Amino acid sequence: MNRFELLNLLQQTIENELVICNIGLPSQELYKINDRPNYFYMLGSMGLASSIGLGLSLSIDKNVISIDGDGSVLMNMNTLATIGNRAPSNYTLLIVDNGSYGSTGDQKTFTNESTSLKNVAIGAGCKNVIECLGEETNENLQKALADKNNSYVIISKIKSGNVPIKPIPLNAVTIRDRFRKEIGLVSYL
Amino acid sequence: MKISQKIITNLKSGGADFFLSVPCKLLANMITILENDKEIYYSAIPREEEGMGICAGAYLGNKLPCIMMQNTGIGNSVNSIVSLLQLYQMPVVFLISYRGTPGEPVGAQGGMGSVTEDILNTLRIPMLHCNIEEDLDKISTFTNHAKVIESPVAVLCNFNLMEDD
Repeated sequence: MNRFELLNLLQQTIENELVICNIGLPSQELYKINDRPNYFYMLGSMGLASSIGLGLSLSIDKNVISIDGDGSVLMNMNTLATIGNRAPSNYTLLIVDNGSYGSTGDQKTFTNESTSLKNVAIGAGCKNVIECLGEETNENLQKALADKNNSYVIISKIKSGNVPIKPIPLNAVTIRDRFRKEIGLVSYL
Repeated sequence: MKISQKIITNLKSGGADFFLSVPCKLLANMITILENDKEIYYSAIPREEEGMGICAGAYLGNKLPCIMMQNTGIGNSVNSIVSLLQLYQMPVVFLISYRGTPGEPVGAQGGMGSVTEDILNTLRIPMLHCNIEEDLDKISTFTNHAKVIESPVAVLCNFNLMEDD
């Protein structure tokens, strides 16, 4: 299973949850699979999907899912410590770990070698850290979303590889406003 | 404590209700005040760049975030300011303890001190300089200004103002 297939499969689980999606191909693939206003596509600032989702989950009661990648988490690992100490129960970090920097040409990341993001997350203080196969991701995500008392970090191990795709034809403020409208904060759209 | 209390009171009256800090010696009193304030959210965080991300999320959730940091933190955050906060037009208040200006005892602070305003100017981020106590009265309006213009703004608090607080 590659990322495109995993993101496709996740559509069976994700309904009105607020999703912050990692920059580059993950967002472009998600847009192509099933564009929804409750999907916030990152167009810049690689590494911060986990942090943006954390800030959102601290501010509202709805379930928030950050869909991040192994390369991006490696770029901003300190935020795992913030998540480990501060994440509320409506927060789930889903790390799509394909062992590669997919958007830049599938160069290998350190999760292909000695680094275990599961161990890093646990060491950073994260609770309910689950590493699973791509095929097992939906059941674990459903468990995380149903649990009203705990935050989760799910690391979904998949194969690298991308599908041919175009940039997202939405500008940033459009993404922002339709996302905030989903939360009920914008009335003029 | 008087200066620190005044800064927090003005940030709050301008609408700020979500606070993060990457600790600085000059922010210590403000952090103590925030830790005991039940009206707002506050947390320390390890690095400024992730703070920009957390602030972006908090804004999406209808908060007006304020990140408190030393001016060195601007250097750690440039891409996240431009490619996240400014790209999506998100208001965030940077409350900056400004080290490295004349009178600074630590020479190594001079480098970032000398480029901080140039960086903020290059990024077109409005600045409020607080050098004397009276300047602090402008923080409330300036905080609200971030929301009005949907942009980050920077409050630069000179270390001379804060060191004896």
